[in-house]
Parts: sequence; structure tokens; C-alpha cells
Amino acid sequence: MMDGSWKVGVDIGGTFTDVIAIDASSGEVRTAKVRSQTSDPVASIVSAYRAIGVGWESVSDLMHGTTMATNAIVEGNLAPVALVATEGFRDTIEIGRQNRRELYRLDVTPKLPPLVPEERRLEVRGRIDAQGSVITPLSDEECERIAAAVVELGVDAVAVALQQCFTNTEHETKLGERLEGSASYVALSHRMNPEPREFERTNTTILNAALMPLTAGYLNELEGAAGSGTNLHLFHSAGGMASVPVVKERPLTLALSGPAAGVAAAGKIANELGLDNAIGFDMGGTTTDTCVVIDGKVQISSDQRLAGRPVRQLMVAVESIGAGGGSIARSEGSAVRVGPDSAGAEPGPACYGLGGEQPTVTDANMVLGFMNTDRLLGGVIRLDPERARSSVKPLSDAFGIPIQETALGIYRVANASMARALRRVTVERGVDARSCALIAFGGAGPMHAVALAREFGIARVVVPKFSSVFSALGCLTAEFSYAEQYAVRMSSTSWDGDRVAELCAVMKDRLAAPIVAAGHDCGSIVTRCVALVRYAGQSDTVEVPFDLPLDPKSLGADFRVRHERLYGFATEEAWELDTLRLTASAASRSDITDLLEAEVSESTMPIATAECWFDSHGALPTPRYERGALPVDWRVGGPAIIEDNWSTIVVPPGAKAWTDATNHLIVEAGDAA
Amino acid sequence: MSARPDPFTIEVIRNALTAIAEEMSLVVMRAARSPLLREAGDLSSALTDANGNLIAQGRDIPAHLGVMGSTVQEFLKRVPAERLSPGDVWFLNLPETGGNHLPDVKAIRPVFAEGEVQAYAVSLAHWADIGGAKPGSYVPDARDAWQEGFRIPPLRVFTADGPDREKLDVILANVRGAEEREGDILAQMASCRSADERLQDVFARYGAATIRAAISDLHDQSEAEMRAALRTLPQGIYEGVDWLDDDGAGGTPIAVRVRVDIGDGEATFDFSDTDDAALGPLNATPFTASASVFYAVKAIAGPDIQPNAGCARPLNIVTRPGSLLNPPVERPVVGGNHETSQRIVDAIFNAMKDVVPERLTAGGSTTSGLLLFSGRDPRTDRWTTLYEVHGGGEGARHDRDGMPVVRPHMSNVMNTPAEVIEANYPIMIDCQALRRGSGGCGAHRGGDGQQRIYRITGPEVWLTTMVERCVIPPYGLQGGEAGEPFRITLERPSGEICTLTGKTHVRLEKGDRIVMETSGGGGFGSVIA
Repeated sequence: MMDGSWKVGVDIGGTFTDVIAIDASSGEVRTAKVRSQTSDPVASIVSAYRAIGVGWESVSDLMHGTTMATNAIVEGNLAPVALVATEGFRDTIEIGRQNRRELYRLDVTPKLPPLVPEERRLEVRGRIDAQGSVITPLSDEECERIAAAVVELGVDAVAVALQQCFTNTEHETKLGERLEGSASYVALSHRMNPEPREFERTNTTILNAALMPLTAGYLNELEGAAGSGTNLHLFHSAGGMASVPVVKERPLTLALSGPAAGVAAAGKIANELGLDNAIGFDMGGTTTDTCVVIDGKVQISSDQRLAGRPVRQLMVAVESIGAGGGSIARSEGSAVRVGPDSAGAEPGPACYGLGGEQPTVTDANMVLGFMNTDRLLGGVIRLDPERARSSVKPLSDAFGIPIQETALGIYRVANASMARALRRVTVERGVDARSCALIAFGGAGPMHAVALAREFGIARVVVPKFSSVFSALGCLTAEFSYAEQYAVRMSSTSWDGDRVAELCAVMKDRLAAPIVAAGHDCGSIVTRCVALVRYAGQSDTVEVPFDLPLDPKSLGADFRVRHERLYGFATEEAWELDTLRLTASAASRSDITDLLEAEVSESTMPIATAECWFDSHGALPTPRYERGALPVDWRVGGPAIIEDNWSTIVVPPGAKAWTDATNHLIVEAGDAA
Repeated sequence: MSARPDPFTIEVIRNALTAIAEEMSLVVMRAARSPLLREAGDLSSALTDANGNLIAQGRDIPAHLGVMGSTVQEFLKRVPAERLSPGDVWFLNLPETGGNHLPDVKAIRPVFAEGEVQAYAVSLAHWADIGGAKPGSYVPDARDAWQEGFRIPPLRVFTADGPDREKLDVILANVRGAEEREGDILAQMASCRSADERLQDVFARYGAATIRAAISDLHDQSEAEMRAALRTLPQGIYEGVDWLDDDGAGGTPIAVRVRVDIGDGEATFDFSDTDDAALGPLNATPFTASASVFYAVKAIAGPDIQPNAGCARPLNIVTRPGSLLNPPVERPVVGGNHETSQRIVDAIFNAMKDVVPERLTAGGSTTSGLLLFSGRDPRTDRWTTLYEVHGGGEGARHDRDGMPVVRPHMSNVMNTPAEVIEANYPIMIDCQALRRGSGGCGAHRGGDGQQRIYRITGPEVWLTTMVERCVIPPYGLQGGEAGEPFRITLERPSGEICTLTGKTHVRLEKGDRIVMETSGGGGFGSVIA
């Protein structure tokens, strides 16, 4: 069979599947957006292929992000799992951290029920202490007893999570080997999350085990459909590509697959445009995802939650805010609130005409004239300005404020609450938002981006080309990369350089193995090392990059510089290397810029002029431009609207916008005039 | 004063001010040294107006509600605003100066704009040690306030030029763990400074007059929310009582009595009939009493009420001088903050038990369940203190069973993972399991408590307990049965077994085991035969 020449990035989201493809021989780029078929992800890929007119046989590489794992966790659609815990600890997952979710709501259950019910929680005799010494050995008879109990339970998937296993992996490994014949899928906690905190590690391991049957089934089906001519890769949560065998063993790595691809694309754009610090801003209908790029690096975190469950693995640090275009505005006495209630996708904003009646942020945007009523949103939905107006009218009447000013108010409050969330994201990462550029994508992001930038004192907004299929773009341009971290806990006063060197060497080899197996040359693999360092007794660590071999003196000095920058002080006290984090990547596949042969301009004339309302300006005649038709180096001053089928970029008075050499749109926020 | 800004502008300002308070808490949690702050988040941050009226609170900790605003108001009675300068950070912890107990140290920074003080940023942090007779500053046998630790009246520790080293040294010389404490002080300072910087932007943007008008409106909004919440309760006078096990000085249970008078959109909580001040450290300040009342009202009637000074206006809280809830200044108070405060909530629930039973939860483990282990770790030769709180079963409700092992009501501090304890302290955890069957029976069952077993691996460790509900069990509602009370058992390798009381101090040796069994929740409704 002839190898195809198309490289394809596909992101299967909850509602839409995005695709972008490039033909390696001609350089031609095609994109499309199709409805996702939630029950059959392979069918989503097939219909995406059909939309861009390529078949399986012409695809050389499929790079693919999916919300499959996320949805399974959120919807609780998980395979039954047996848990093996240390004797005395099977209830850890039910005790949890004993804090309650809601402080004042007594009607809400304070915790989620445990992931594994009591009858499937087994205890094994055998104990290791915090220094890795075996206190009670794990006997062969115990292993036999557990294996028999697992068979008796009749489950396919087993999670093994023993106390202090990360200090000495002997017991988990032994159990894992014995269990191989008793269950199809076994997840060991020291492989998932070699760090202390039994509740979080156990939950992470259980989630992984529970996803293994589903993921293996899907990937087997996908491999069958793709045949041998296509290389399959999946986008993992830490912002890179993973091979199919790796994902089968660690399906939880897909937990943030889709958003991570968008984040990775934002990171690439930031690098290509030479932006050191940037905030990714992806505003959708019900949620807004944000992420931070610092010193050109996408931020990674190992401590996040998914559907209320702790997940300890390296994932891009995406902060999801429960506010979006569907957030509902309402009055509460003399006060006004926007969100957290949302009209969601069903019934959606009033102007969609799908039965929604309450005023949403999108309806406010409609009243302000930002959205083009002549255009079908996404080529499907006809927007109805009358419905938008009548949804806003009751609020306008209640406050005695004209309808446009009410809409403007909703727009401002929505921006203020997003600004509050963005503040948290940047402060937690120790970065001053004013030093960042705002990279806006997703349906509603570009509509709010400039106003939000002004709220923060951010000077520059970037709306990348292909912003509406941004996650697919992230897939297409991703590199193979694997990351892991290991809890070391070594004080600068009792430094063991040999141990650190050995740990780094072992991690480096382990990370490189699947990249080499995928056909990359060992010499082309780049390893990035980060030490998580803190003063003894501190909780949060500071990320300090270092080069191998690790020099403790320069690590200490770099740590103090960064600590001073983050917290405004640093002392000469002893510090502690808490954790080592290594990332191995194969050389980058393709730069986004390479994909963006600027097209020949068709027209720089506005397609229409409409009245839009901006802060304190009243109605202003505002030209609308078709984004796809704009040439490079084209400039416009606000007010202006630049739009395509999927998104609307609002350039308010006082702002300036232009297209760069690769057709990214840049907006200088300026001041509200 | 300028005209009222439009509701959208007010909402935008509210978001901006709340963001500033939230950021303060993040700064403390990230930079602090002590596990209590970094892991457990035992801290609060707030902004007040120039008169000390609470505007916005960061992370909303029930025990600190009502304390943050009173701290500034009482501070201003002792330090007139004329003595304040831009860049100051003042520290204080006196319980009688708007406070609760000595370990909760507050940092206050005046925020100047347009030439005068416009606001105060307050950062409260629970220090893991504030000196006094015992490590960790929980002294069950304290009989006066000075045994409980170092008392800090309002003290200007930072000016715009930086720290006053001598004052800092006086504080650090009087607490254990000077390095860790200095880290906490710097974290609180950094938190107040960030609030000042952000507030400067907000004042520059909107102008002080607009901000003042918006704040006044936010106070009115919360007042209206509180009145609306109170109107959902039937008017009338309801009496309730709950008991402390004891005050740590021996003796019998101590009563917290409340007379709740619900009027039309207003309410009085009169605690005059509560017992006299205790000899031991279970007294609570009137500010703690206010925080407890706010919590109870929010939980029963208005979970979404925005916490600011406006919600206090419809509430009248009466405490009798000389009583447990308004003690003479020389009486010790350290346990009152999280034990007696919970009794106040339980007394109010008791008063409302036949009025709005469907809004209540039966009795839970309304205590911190505090075990404080201190000792030298032979592996590092360092002195370590583990401050560990224990949740128990949740009380049942009219429509569901209680859940196992949670922290109820006034506190929500997390546990420390067994693996973290074993790595940092001379202790092994032999078991952490549900205490099955400890929840009370009823049409709906109370949740189960937990059993955690601590085994001492060092030569010498001191244990302090500060635990309620060992004698008085968590109550059932509407015919449901009480849950099992707390039980703390000491098992020596010699085979000797003894039950420890809820307020004690005992020396442990290698091989000793502490079996902590926490209470089950009360049941709701009679079991139908």
C-alpha cells in the first residue's frame, strides 16, 4: 500500500470535532469542523476526514486529541475496579481528606462517594516505612490470596495502591506480576504517581484502572480502521504526543487531552511570535479555559481535580472558569449577578432561538451589535436579535437603564468575573499579568479579549489564524514528549549528588524509550529538567530549571532568585529538593508558521457596516470584515469587527488591529477613549 | 459622596475587591512555612473600609467571619488613624481586641488614597506556636491568659522602610520555631502589601468617592440578603442549649444557653443564661460568638449571603460579661475558638430543632478533635510538632443519611496524610479505617466516625488533646439516636490500656499506641419498627 502524504490533527470535543490537515508533498492545508458523534469516536474521525476530502489511505500521521477519558470520568462511566490496599488502609478512599465541599450548604453531601465500594476493597499484609525499609514482608501466600479474591470478584481491572510504595516498589511490583493472570488490566500506584499522599495517589490509580478497558477497546478499533499505513498518536495532558501502547497503559494521561492541545498551540504561537509571557484564553459556551505561558514555557502542574476527584499526574495547568457565553445575568434585589448559572448548549442563549429566554452574555453581545445576524453561526444557527433584546429587557426595566447600557453592563460584569479568575491563575504562577500577551481563541474569546486586556493593563491581544480549530492545530504541530516526576526530598545540607545523578539517568532513559520505539533517533531527543525546590517547611515549591549534571550550588542560587521574584523575599537558609521533573521530547514536527502560507487577498473592503455599542460611546457605525479575506500587513483602527463563521473579533475604539506576515491577527488594546 | 453608581459598576467593583482579598490568601498559602497555613489553610484575608467595616473576604472561613472586621474596629480604638502611615503593617493577637485566641495573629495595613486612609487589608494566620507553657500553644491546664502564650498588642512591625528588626526579634524570641514564624510573618506582610498595590489601581481607576458609594451599596445588599433570609424563619422566641464536656480543669459539663428571638427580618441571639466563665481554656470571646451566630444563620437560612459588615446589621448578639462567652481578660481562651464556637452553633440548632427540622443536620463531631504530638525526631534530631484534627460522622438529615468522616460547621481543616506524617514525625500510622456502626440509628442514620492508630517510634513524644464530644455524644433529631462519642485510648507495649480525657497532656514512649476513635453522627427520625 502506498503511504499517504497527509498529516492530520483531529480534536474530538464534546460538541464538535475539529480537523486540520497538511499535505506534506504540496503544502496544502485544509480545515473543517463537524459535529461529534459522542457514542462513536471513530465515526467522528471518519466524518472529519470526509469533510476535508481525505481517506484513511492517504493519511500518514493522525495526531489526535479526545475528550473520551474526560467524559467517562465526568459522567462516571467507568469500569468496575478492585482496589488492593495495605492492611488497615482500605477505607482511605472513603475517609478522604475529611473536608467538605460546601461550607454553608447542609443539604449538599459533603463529599463524593468513594470510587470503589467497600465490597471490592481488599487489604494485603505487608508494610514498608517512609525510608523504604520492609517492616512486614509480603508473602507469596498473601499474593495468592489476593489473586484468588480478585478472580472471585470477577472484575477486569485492578488498582494496587500500597502505603509508602514510592520509597520501595518491591511489594507493588510483586503483586502486579502475580495479578497479571487474574485480571486483564492492572494499574500500580508507584507507576502512576510516585509521591506521598495516599488518598490522592490511590484515587489517581483507580481512575487509571477504570479507564483501561474503555481506552483499549477504542484504540483497538481505531487501529483497525486506520490500518498499517497511518501512524497513530494521541495528545496527552502534559502537552505532547504519546504512542498508542503508552496510552493503553496510562489512559488517564488523556484526562485533559483536548484543552492541553489548545494550550500547546498557544505555547507554540507565543514562541513563534517571540512572546515570553502569555495567557491563553479560550472562552466557550459554558466554561472558559485559561492557561499561562511563562518564559516561553507552558505551565505544568501535578495537582489538579477532575469532576471533583484528585488527579495527580503531570498535566498542563488549565484553569477552568464556570463562565462563558451562556452565563445568565439576573437581578438579586438591587444587585446584579452574571453566572454561575448557564444556559449551556441547550437551550443556549435566547438569540439562538432554541427555547432559551433568560439573558446571557451572548445575548448582551448580540444587543451590542457585535454579532452578525446575516451569518449562520457555525453555518447552522440563525441568530435572532429580537429574542436577544427581549431577554435583556426585564433587567433593563428593573434597573431603569436603557437596554444597550444594560447589555454593556452584562458585558462588563462578565469581563470582571473572568478578570478575577485570570488574576488567580497568574498570581498562583507568580507572574504579573501586565507582562503577558493575551492569546484568544474558542468561539467567544476574541469578542471579550480586548476589553479583558484593558481590565488588566495587558497591551497586546493575539487571535491566531485557525483559532476556531485551535486544539486540532495543537495536535498537528505537537512533538512526542513524555514527562514524569519523582519525589526526592533531599536537603541542601545532606546532599547526595550520586543519588540525584542516578535518579536523573534512570528517568531520562525511561522517558526516551517510547520515543526511540516510535522511530526517533536517540540523539535527537531533548531532555528538559526542572527541580521543585522549597525552604524546609514550605508547602509550595518553586520550579527551577537546571541542566544535567545537577550542580547544587547554582540550583540554590537560582532558587533564591526565583523565590525573591515570586514572594518578594529570600533567605540564606537551607533549602530542599522536593521533586525532580524531567521531560523528554523528540524534535518538533512542524512549526505553525510553516503551515501558514498567507493567502492572496480577495478584498480589504468591509462586508457590511453596523451599529455597535462600546463603553461610553453610544452607537458607533462599525465596519465588519471577513477574516479569511484579509491580506497580510493589513491594518485597521477601532471600532471594527473581524469575523468568520465561528468567531467574532471585537476591536473597540482606541484599539488598533493588524494582520502579521502569517495572518495572525494582533490587536493593540490601547485605552478606552 | 457621589451618586450611587449603576448596579453593573458596583458588581464590577465587587469582583475587583473580592479578587484582591482572594489574592491575599493565595500569597499567604504559597509563601508561608507552617503546615497549618500551607496544607490546612488555617487563615483568612479581608478588606475593610476606613471604619473597619468588612468589605470583602478571601477564603471564607466560618470561624473567622465576624472576627476580621471587629479586629480593625478594636484596633482603631487603641491606635487612632492619625498614627498610621502608608506602608505600615501592624501585628496583633489580643483576644479582647476583636480577636479569638492568641495563635490567630492578624496583620493590618492601612491603605491610603487621595491623602487619607480609605481601607484596611487584614491577614489572619494561625501560627503553629505562639509561645506559652506547651509546644503548639494549646495548654489544656492553663488557668490564666498568660500561660497561653505571647500577647501582642497592636505593634507596628513594618514601615514603608522595611521591618523593625528589634520588634521582630522580640516576637521571635517568645515563640517556638523562630525560622518558621519569621516565614509566616513575611508571608502575612507580603499579602497585605499585594492588597495595597491592587487597591491603588482600583482607587485610581474609579476614584475614592465612587468606591465608597459602591461599598455602602454592597453593605446594603448584604443587609437586605440577611433580612430576607431571616424572614424565611417563623417569628417567635426559641430556647436552646448545648454542653461542653468540661473545661479541662475537671468538673462537670458547662452549658451554652441561647434565646433566639426571630422578628420581622431581624433576630436577637441572647446568650445571657450561659454558664459563667470557665477556669480552663474553653472560654470564647464575644467576637467568636458573633462568628458562630453568622455561621448558624447562613447555614440555616442563607448560604449565599455575601459576607460583609452589612449582614451584621439585622443581628443583635448579647453576651453577659463574666460568662463563658464574655470572659474576664485574664481567663484562658485557646480552645474556645474551635470548641465553644461549635457549642454555640449546636445550641442554636437545638433551639430551632422543632421549628425548621428539615433545614438542620443532626449532631456531628462538632470539635476539632485535636491531637498535638511534639517530640524530637531521632532521624533528624529536630523538634517536631504534629497538629492533627479529626473529623467524625456527619449527622443525618430529614432526607438522607449522614456521610462518614467529615469536619462539620465552624471548621473545615483537612487531615495530614499518613505517608506525610510518617516521613516528618517519629510516628507510624498502623490503621485508618471507618469506625463502623458508630453513627446513630434513625429513619436516616448518622455517618460513621473513623479510627486512626498512631504508634510512637521515637524515644519520647508529648501528646496534648483538645477534644469535645467525649462525654456528650452528637445528638439525634426528631427521634433519631445519638452517635457514639469520641474515645481516645492509650495502649502501652506492657499491655496497659487506659482511656484519655479530651483535655489532657501525657508523655508517650516508643511503642505506645494512641487509638483515636471519632464520634459518629446523630440519626434523624425514629426507626420505624
